Amino acid sequence: MSKPTILLIDDEERILRSLRMLFLSNYNVRMTTDPHEAIRILKTEKVHVIVSDQRMPVMQGSELLRIARDTSPATMRILLTGYSDLDASIASVNEGEVFRYLLKPWLADDVKSAVAEAAAIAEASFSVHSVDLKSVQAGVEHKKPRVLIIDSEEATSITVREILGVRCEIVWAYNAQMAMEELAKQDVSVVVSDLMLGETNVAYILKTIKQLNPQTQCIVVTSFNDTSRLIELINQAQISRYLPKPVGKNLLARNLESMLERFNLLRSQPALQNRQAVAPISDDHEKMQSGNFLGMIGRLRARVAA
Amino acid sequence: MGQDSTGDKEVFAREMLALVNPIESIAPDRTVAEVAELFLNPDYAKVLSLPVVENGLPLGVISRYRFMDMYLKQFARELHGKRAIRHYINEKPLLVELDQPLAEAALHVAEHMQFPLTEDFVITRHGKYLGVGFVMDLLKAMEVRMRANTEELNGAYSRLKSSQLALVQSEKMASLGQMVAGVAHEINTPLGYVQNNVAIGQELFVQVREMIAGYEALVDNLLNEQATDEQISGQMAQIARMRGELNAHEMLGEMQGLMADSLYGIGQISELVLNLKNFSRMDAAATEAVNLNSCIESALNIGRNVLKNKVEVIKELGDLPRMTCSPSHLNQVFLNLFTNAAQAMGENGQLRIRTWQDKDSIHVSVTDNGKGILPEHLTHIFDPFFTTKPVGEGTGLGLAISHQIILQHGGEIRVESSVGAGTTFYIRLPLAVGESSHTDSTVLTEQF
Ligand SMILES: Nc1ncnc2c1ncn2[C@@H]1O[C@H](COP(=O)(O)OP(=O)(O)O)[C@@H](O)[C@H]1O
Ligand SMILES: [Mg+2]
Repeated sequence: MSKPTILLIDDEERILRSLRMLFLSNYNVRMTTDPHEAIRILKTEKVHVIVSDQRMPVMQGSELLRIARDTSPATMRILLTGYSDLDASIASVNEGEVFRYLLKPWLADDVKSAVAEAAAIAEASFSVHSVDLKSVQAGVEHKKPRVLIIDSEEATSITVREILGVRCEIVWAYNAQMAMEELAKQDVSVVVSDLMLGETNVAYILKTIKQLNPQTQCIVVTSFNDTSRLIELINQAQISRYLPKPVGKNLLARNLESMLERFNLLRSQPALQNRQAVAPISDDHEKMQSGNFLGMIGRLRARVAA
Repeated sequence: MGQDSTGDKEVFAREMLALVNPIESIAPDRTVAEVAELFLNPDYAKVLSLPVVENGLPLGVISRYRFMDMYLKQFARELHGKRAIRHYINEKPLLVELDQPLAEAALHVAEHMQFPLTEDFVITRHGKYLGVGFVMDLLKAMEVRMRANTEELNGAYSRLKSSQLALVQSEKMASLGQMVAGVAHEINTPLGYVQNNVAIGQELFVQVREMIAGYEALVDNLLNEQATDEQISGQMAQIARMRGELNAHEMLGEMQGLMADSLYGIGQISELVLNLKNFSRMDAAATEAVNLNSCIESALNIGRNVLKNKVEVIKELGDLPRMTCSPSHLNQVFLNLFTNAAQAMGENGQLRIRTWQDKDSIHVSVTDNGKGILPEHLTHIFDPFFTTKPVGEGTGLGLAISHQIILQHGGEIRVESSVGAGTTFYIRLPLAVGESSHTDSTVLTEQF
C-alpha cells in the first residue's frame, strides 16, 4: 500500500523542514509556506492529513482549514500553533472543525501519533466520501431526534424549543444528575451545554459523551472564556460548535440544523464517526469523574433493562 | 426653595452660630451716660462696640472708641450725657447675615472693615439682631478652616498620586501581559522546531550508532582469520538491511541542515529573551546614554507579535547621537504607539518610523495608514482613560502615560490625523540634557 500523504503549512520554513524529517519515512510529505499553494495541492492530490499553523501572513490557519473542508472533505485537519488565543481556537472549532488542536512546542511522539491516527481515519473515509452522501441520507428513515440541553438556566432550552418545536424531543437538565439520567435513558442526537452549572465544571460530561455514542454532536453555549479549556474540549470532547452566551436564535438555529444533519449522516455512515475520535482525558480528576459517570450510567441502564 | 439649599443654610448657620455673642442690645433712647456706664460693666469687657436695636432691627453701633473720642473733649459728659444714644451711633455698622458660609462672611467683613479696628460686627438673622461677632474670632475660625482645607488638599494630593501610580502600574501590567503573550508565541515557534530537531537527532543517533556497530563488527571479522564465510555474509546481509531502512547518507545530510536551523532558532530565542529583559527593566533606576534607534528596534522586536503578519514596517532611522534618557520608559512609549497603530490598521497596514536630529533635539515620527482619529477625539486621546476600544482591549492609559514620560524627558508629543487616511505621532526630545531634566528622570523613575 502506498504511503499516506501529509500536507504541512507554516510560514516558518524551519518548522516545515523539521516536521518533514519526522514524517519522511512513513508518509509522502508535501509542504508549503503558502496557503494558496496548499489549496491547490488539496484540489489536485489526495491528501490524508493537513497540518497547518494558525498565524500566517496571507491567511489564518482556521480559514485555510475551512476551505479544506469544502475542497477535500475526507482530509483530516490538524492545527499546530504556538499561539493560544481564544478567537483562533473558537474559529478552529466552528470553521476549521479540526480533529486536533496542537500546541508548539510539541512532543515529537504526540504529533506523530495524532497524525498516524488521523491518516488511518482519512483512509477509511475516502471511500465513503466518494459516494454521494446527500442521496444516501435521503433514503434513510429516522426516529425523532433527541436534543439534551445541559444548563443551570432555562433560557437556552427555551430558545431550542422555539427553534425545533415538535420536530425533536427536547429535554432540559439543570444539573449533572439529571444530565446523567437523561443520557442513560436513551440516545441523544445533539447536546447543547454550558461548561459551568453554577460552580460545577461539567466539561467531564462532554468529554464522556462520545464514549456513550460517538455520533452525538456537542454544541457548547457559554459565556465562559478560557482558551486552554477550550483546546482540551476540542481534543478530548470533539465538540462541534462553541457559541457565545446569550446565543442569538438564528445562530443557534443554523448550528442545530447542521448538527442534526451531521448526526443523521453519521448514523447512516458509521465509518465516518471516527473522524471525531477523541483523545484521552488528560486531567486526572476529570478522568475519574468521567469513569464514575460512565459507571453510573451503566448501572442505570442495567436497572431499566431489568 | 429646594431641599438642598435649606440643608446648606443649616450647615452654614452652625458654623456662623459659633461666632455669635448674644450680647444684650441697647435701646436707642438710652442716654449717653447710661451707655458709658455699660462699657464699664465686666459683661461687656470684651466688646469694642455695643449694638443699638429697636424692635429687633439693628439701628447701629456705638463704640468705645467713639466715647473716648467724645469724653476727651471738655464738658462732654455734661453736654451729651443726658441725650439719647441714638444721636451718636454709627448708623452703618458692619452687618453679617447668619445664613451664609463662613468664608463669605469673612470676605464681606474683610472688605468693609475699618482700620483701626474700632467696632465689632453685628450678626443678624433675616435682618433681626442676633448678637455681636468679634473680628478676631472670625479670623481664628478662618484659620482653623484653612488648616483643615490644607490637610484635605494634601490628603487629596497624595491619594491622587498613589492612584496615578496604580494606574501607571495597571497599564504597565496590561501592556506587559500583552507583551508576554506575544513573546511566548514568538518563542514557541523556534522552540517548536528546535525541540523537534533534537528529538529527531536523538533517534537518528541511535540508528547510526547501531549501523556503525554493525560495520565495526564486520571489519573485525574481516580481519579475524577464524571468522567463517557464513558469519561474514550474515553480517553483510544485516548491514544491507539496515542500509535499506536508513539512508544514513541522506539522513545525516538532512540532519546537518536541521542542526543549522536549530542554532538559528536558539539565536532567535536568546535575542527575544534579551529584548524582554532589556525591555522590562522598567523599574530599574536607569537613566542611560543610549541611541534612540535602538529603543525603537527593541520596541519593534517586542511588539513584533502585534505587528507581524498584517503590518509592513518601514524604518527610516537617521544617524543619532546617544542621549541620556530612561530607555525603558521610552521603550514603553514606542510600544504604545506601535500597538495603537497596529490596532488602527486592517489588512495592508503600513507603519513608517522616522528618526532625525536637528540642532538641539531628536525627532521621532510614527505614521500609520490606519483608520485615523475623529476630530472630536483628537483633543482627548492623551486624557487618562480615554479609549474607543472595547473593554479588555483598551485601557485608555497608553497615550496618557506616554505623554507623561515625554514631558518628564523635557520633550513634547503631538499628533496629526486624518480620518480614513492615517495618523502620525511626532515626538521631540531635547538633546541637551541639563541638570534639571536629569533630576526629572530620577523623579520619573521613582514615580513609575
Ligand atoms: N494610531 C492611532 N490611530 C487611530 N486611533 C488612535 C491611534 N492611537 C491612539 N488612538 C486613539 O486614542 C485612544 C487612546 O489611546 P491609548 O491612550 O493608547 O489607549 P487605548 O489604546 O488603551 O485605547 C484609542 O482608544 C484610539 O481611539
Ligand atoms: Mg494603546
